[in-house]
Amino acid sequence: MITAKVNQNQALKTAKSGRKIRAKNTAIGWSFVTIASLMICLFYFYPMVQALILSFQSGTGANLTFTGLDNYARLLKDPTFLTTVKNTVIYLVIQVPIMIILALFLSVLLNNKTLKYKGLFRTAIFLPCVTSLVAYSVIFKYLFGQDGIINIMLMKLSLISEPIQWLTDPFWAKIAIIVAITWRWTGYNMIFYLSALQNVDESIYEAAKIDGASSIQQFFKITIPMLKPIILFTSITSTIGTLQLFDEVMNITKGGPGNATMTISQYIYNLSFKYTPDFGYAATVSYAIVIMIVIFSIIQFKVAGDKNE
Amino acid sequence: MKKVLALFLVSILLLTACSSGSKDKQASGESKDTKEITVWAWDPNFNIKAMNLAKEAYKSENPDLKIKVVENAQADIVQKLNTSLSSGTTKGLPNIVLIEDYRAQSFLKAYPDMFQELTGSFNPEDFAQYKMAPTSLDGKNYGLPFDTGVTGLYVRTDYLEKAGYKVADLQNIDWNKYIEIGKKVKAATGKVMLTQDPKDLGLIRMMIQSSGAWYLKKDGVTPDLAGNAALKEAFKTYKEILDADLVKPVSDWSQFVAGFNSGDVATVPTGNWITPSIKSEASQSGKWAVVPMPKQSGIASSVNASNLGGSSWYVLNVPGKEKAVDFLAKTFGSNVDFYQTLNKEIGAIGTYKPAAEGEAYKASDDFFGGQKIITDFANWTEQIPQVNYGLHTYAIEDILAVGMQDYLKGKDLDKVLEDAQKQAEEQIK
Amino acid sequence: MSKRIFSYTVLIIASIVSIFPFLWMIVSSTNKSVDVTKGRLLPGTHFIENLQNLLNTVDLIPALINSTKISIITTVLAMLIASLAGYGFEIFKSRTKDFLFNFLLLSMMIPFAALMVPLFRMFGTISQSVPIIGIDTKTAVILPTVTTAFLIFFFRQSTKMFPKEILEAGRIDGLTELGVFFRIYVPTMKTTYAAAAIITFMASWNSYLWPLVILQSPENQTIPLLISNLGSSYSPDFGMIMTAIVIATLPAALIFFIMQKHFVAGMMGSVK
Repeated sequence: MITAKVNQNQALKTAKSGRKIRAKNTAIGWSFVTIASLMICLFYFYPMVQALILSFQSGTGANLTFTGLDNYARLLKDPTFLTTVKNTVIYLVIQVPIMIILALFLSVLLNNKTLKYKGLFRTAIFLPCVTSLVAYSVIFKYLFGQDGIINIMLMKLSLISEPIQWLTDPFWAKIAIIVAITWRWTGYNMIFYLSALQNVDESIYEAAKIDGASSIQQFFKITIPMLKPIILFTSITSTIGTLQLFDEVMNITKGGPGNATMTISQYIYNLSFKYTPDFGYAATVSYAIVIMIVIFSIIQFKVAGDKNE
Repeated sequence: MKKVLALFLVSILLLTACSSGSKDKQASGESKDTKEITVWAWDPNFNIKAMNLAKEAYKSENPDLKIKVVENAQADIVQKLNTSLSSGTTKGLPNIVLIEDYRAQSFLKAYPDMFQELTGSFNPEDFAQYKMAPTSLDGKNYGLPFDTGVTGLYVRTDYLEKAGYKVADLQNIDWNKYIEIGKKVKAATGKVMLTQDPKDLGLIRMMIQSSGAWYLKKDGVTPDLAGNAALKEAFKTYKEILDADLVKPVSDWSQFVAGFNSGDVATVPTGNWITPSIKSEASQSGKWAVVPMPKQSGIASSVNASNLGGSSWYVLNVPGKEKAVDFLAKTFGSNVDFYQTLNKEIGAIGTYKPAAEGEAYKASDDFFGGQKIITDFANWTEQIPQVNYGLHTYAIEDILAVGMQDYLKGKDLDKVLEDAQKQAEEQIK
Repeated sequence: MSKRIFSYTVLIIASIVSIFPFLWMIVSSTNKSVDVTKGRLLPGTHFIENLQNLLNTVDLIPALINSTKISIITTVLAMLIASLAGYGFEIFKSRTKDFLFNFLLLSMMIPFAALMVPLFRMFGTISQSVPIIGIDTKTAVILPTVTTAFLIFFFRQSTKMFPKEILEAGRIDGLTELGVFFRIYVPTMKTTYAAAAIITFMASWNSYLWPLVILQSPENQTIPLLISNLGSSYSPDFGMIMTAIVIATLPAALIFFIMQKHFVAGMMGSVK
């Protein structure tokens, strides 16, 4: 009886001190994340709320007036906006898969233990994403020029008989942009896969080999499933990157010819800075991007999740 | 632990060092209304040099005023002005800024109180008339006209000769004649006539301004696309030039420059500011001439003179504006000698008419076979039809660039312009 | 064996494609402007001349110093803030914190073009009371870019694999929570820091749009702004521009080459 009471008391005490520790832990835990959370709220969410307010206004420069939902109505009828959405989705649907497959493929090759000069290959392929956009756009404009090196080489190899209008034809200009983004970001994604591959237990492959699985089977049956979380992660970041695509298009084709390569982000820039500025409508367009990104991310999670089951 | 803490401390120190550094600047910035004014412009070889020459010229007038000339790319200036002015923050803005004529109205209207009125500080009669519309608003002058974008047709005399033409044959022609000559030149030499960037409708702009037309009606607000005879003719000419295979497509400025530097094109129809780039390929000396811009065929009002680009100086409504106005008025606004230096040193042709009487404007240029190109350009400047560039040059141009692609693919021209009109009306409010 | 040859062939082609633009850029920095526009592929003899032109026309050295200062401070602060948060979210897990974490991740989806004008207005307001962190200061360049949800995510992922028993051992030894973080966590996570630092440094070194908006005076100019100005001329000197680009790119490329082993190792932690 007495012992029971003592036990009870002790239990109470530990419970109390446990709660104290937990409370203390909570406080400490929160203090770790406070600075970052405040910074993000201050520099991302607060301006975003400002932009939301802006999106209900319209007018040139400083002469903004509240116009309610007019901007949103205008958005749906705006042919330029619709073209930019179409272009952006084309980039997304074609470029992101190509880049991810290419990056996966290269990372598998590079993951070979017996391979020599790994560091050199790695650096070489990663190098493009180190370049500043200014440098990179200057380079690409030359490469893809009418007399650019790409045309010269293709003609020397007799693959084409006359120069391709890389940057001045609506179709080829889109291809040029896709090539440029792929060139710049494949190495970056490759590094993620390469790191993930080095975590994969070698013995799984050994077992597969004994079972007589070919390299291709190993790739699809082992590598891809093992890397699924990181593939999902990179495809979401790439999707976000592509939906916000600006640098490449702005600097390589300026969105031309016509609006053939213009992206949504570039349209926002044009509305704010190239034309007589209408910051209200520009903010409206930017909310369209946010909504698209949310939708695409949900789709990607869903697709990845379904395969899991 | 110690290392990390040290690193943290160092970075905090650096941060404060940076901030205190800018604090010092801030202190000097506050006193700038008395001693220092800042100027923003683009292009180191042209506008910046011109401003520096003006600075020299003003020294004798007022040795105490410090003038800081800051170089920024044009797109960057536009962006900085828009961000600052729209947020009502004048901090860090310059006293004087260079603005392209096409964009001037949009700035003056969008930020009405931010620009200092210049009426009375210079005599508008002294400047080329076509510069007045873009630089003034509601009858008040806001911009001091600077360089002319007067255009000419730069031609390779050696290529023309092979096709049996002399420079005299190209004086005051129209675009149909240009195409006819182009076909013969191509047959004789294999060279195309010109380069074109499909994103840049500069050629269209030059064509319609030569007929006194623009993308907008005279009020500078209403789009004038459908039923604009000059614009329709310009579109037709553009397509004919392309169909005759006289064009080498380019996608940016450097390729445009490379086009004539490497001898790939027989002509360059553009603004006079291209002269230094043409002359940069010294081996082509003596092979070039400049003739008047072709006019539009079938448009009665069209003349053999037009404009492309060109910009003017504006004073912002920030402390130091009086000094800035005085500086501009006594250099770009009235100093004939200064314009001579400007012309000799950098080949800049101003729009200040009295300057044309000076020596430098009469010099002949051996690169152009001894032609007095400055005199010619100065003459053409006075013939440029005045149009109101209005508010939306680039917004409409982007719409038209899409229309142009549709037209080239075979869409009916009237329909193209009607659609463009509709879209422009929708977009511009 | 044939598989090997295949691997090497593919990797060599990929490397050449990746490096080619750089080689061409380096070659072009030794050529005259006219030759660059003609697409000359052979090295020339004008490098010194281009470099001299560059040093005479623009303030290259101050711009390099500015870029270095901004990038280093950004990187150091970003490491500290993001790793504290990543650690906090993972070690002191709770439902509310997870919710906050997911909420913060949303910030990755906001296009910068949308934030630019409101952010500038914000700094405009700050300028009026505290000019030392307002418009046209390095602080203003650094502050909004220093915390990214991506980096917090990156550190949190890496922390997942961290052996938590060591932390407990540290606590029993009487270390404070901050002590545990700095003395145990930070030293163990060196490679993660290396990878994160490289990513942050490069982003900061190359960043263009925000510095362009917020910096006004030429004394504060960074390297990307300088290069962009060089290209703005009616008659640009392309040999000189290429020289500037080479100088701007080499530091970042060298840093990666030197640190790449740690980089890959650090990324490994985050993708487990």
